[in-house]
Amino acid sequence: MDLAVDRTQSLPAVASEASLVAELQAGSEDAFAYLLGVYQNPVFNLISHILGNDSEAADVLQEVFVKVFKGIRHFHGQSSLKTWIYRIALHEISNHRRGWLRRRLRETASFDHESHEETAASWREQAGRTANPYQVLEQAERQDLVKRALADLPPVFRAVVVLREIEDLSYREIAEVLGIPEGTVKSRLLRGREMLRRRLGSILG
Amino acid sequence: MFESCLEVRQLFSDYVDGQCDREASAAVRFHLRYCEACRAALDSLQAVRAELKLLPHRRVPEDLALRLRVQLSQRLHRNLLERLRVRIENAIEPLLVPASTAVLTAVICFGVLMASGSPPRANTPDVPLQLATPPRVEALAPIDFNTGDQGLTLLTHIDASGRVLDYKVLSGQPSPGLAQMMLFSLFHPATLFGKPTEGRIVLSLRRITVRG
Ligand SMILES: [Zn+2]
Repeated sequence: MDLAVDRTQSLPAVASEASLVAELQAGSEDAFAYLLGVYQNPVFNLISHILGNDSEAADVLQEVFVKVFKGIRHFHGQSSLKTWIYRIALHEISNHRRGWLRRRLRETASFDHESHEETAASWREQAGRTANPYQVLEQAERQDLVKRALADLPPVFRAVVVLREIEDLSYREIAEVLGIPEGTVKSRLLRGREMLRRRLGSILG
Repeated sequence: MFESCLEVRQLFSDYVDGQCDREASAAVRFHLRYCEACRAALDSLQAVRAELKLLPHRRVPEDLALRLRVQLSQRLHRNLLERLRVRIENAIEPLLVPASTAVLTAVICFGVLMASGSPPRANTPDVPLQLATPPRVEALAPIDFNTGDQGLTLLTHIDASGRVLDYKVLSGQPSPGLAQMMLFSLFHPATLFGKPTEGRIVLSLRRITVRG
């Protein structure tokens, strides 16, 4: 059984993609607005999970769409629109990361404090809605642990894990997005998953 | 058959993705039947995967979606403005009016379909656009004011009769001239199923100075 099925029904079908691309290349504002509508949330989700920070993700997202607007003329359907946009996103993330790493080292203290408060706030919010606050606390704590474990993965492994487990891309799509062979996707995924399992397995059990 | 548990665990990642061939899958399943440690390892791998899938999906905040939309519109219309400027310069030149300037306020606008408080609907492709139309500019009041070099971008709230209810400056410097212009400008209201309704429109104003 092939478990790596495409689960992205909400994205435009391949048949209509060519006409969408043609309209984008003609500079249709409606087509670009549609493109934003379809891709801004998945791309933001991707960037945010890889960077582990929403406000950094906002800056990168704007850069990504600037590149998309500029580059669409040179898009000739070598890959799907989705993998092309994701590839731009991954490229912008690594461009951004150099500067980001430096800033993060300086701001580690305040960043940790902020993310802790955020978690506490979302826990209070959720707790108000459910009968069993202990369960919610457990889930919020688990999610926090998972996010931290993901953030601690070395970037090359984190990107592959996020693209596969959170964005549901196939091995071939991940290979296209990252510009690496499928064999490398497999081995990075194996190592990334194993690192997460070692760190989280006993807690999640 | 596998020599060791290590060997079988090397296949787990492919196995959970359905990437193992028939033979390898069968061998993994066979090993799992007899090895409790590997069963536990596979279970914890699946638990980690399930947690990753449960992480909340991040959505673009409303103000960022609007910024993206404005950025797009400005980019698409920049060329248009450049062409317009060239045309006006060509038209004015023959008059040869020394030391005088003609001023034009160029407008870029796009409607943002949204009910109060909800995210911009024009950004969600599932809204059939022909059933809802954004507000349109009918005429901007001919009031000259300085928009600055960067221009002004406004989110303008238009009621069902085409009046400006309020506006928010998204970028640029507000001025008394702007308030006056908004007061005396005319708009077509947004429509929903053919009926006028409240709506919002983003206006991007830029004063182009054409030298004689
Ligand atoms: Zn074993």
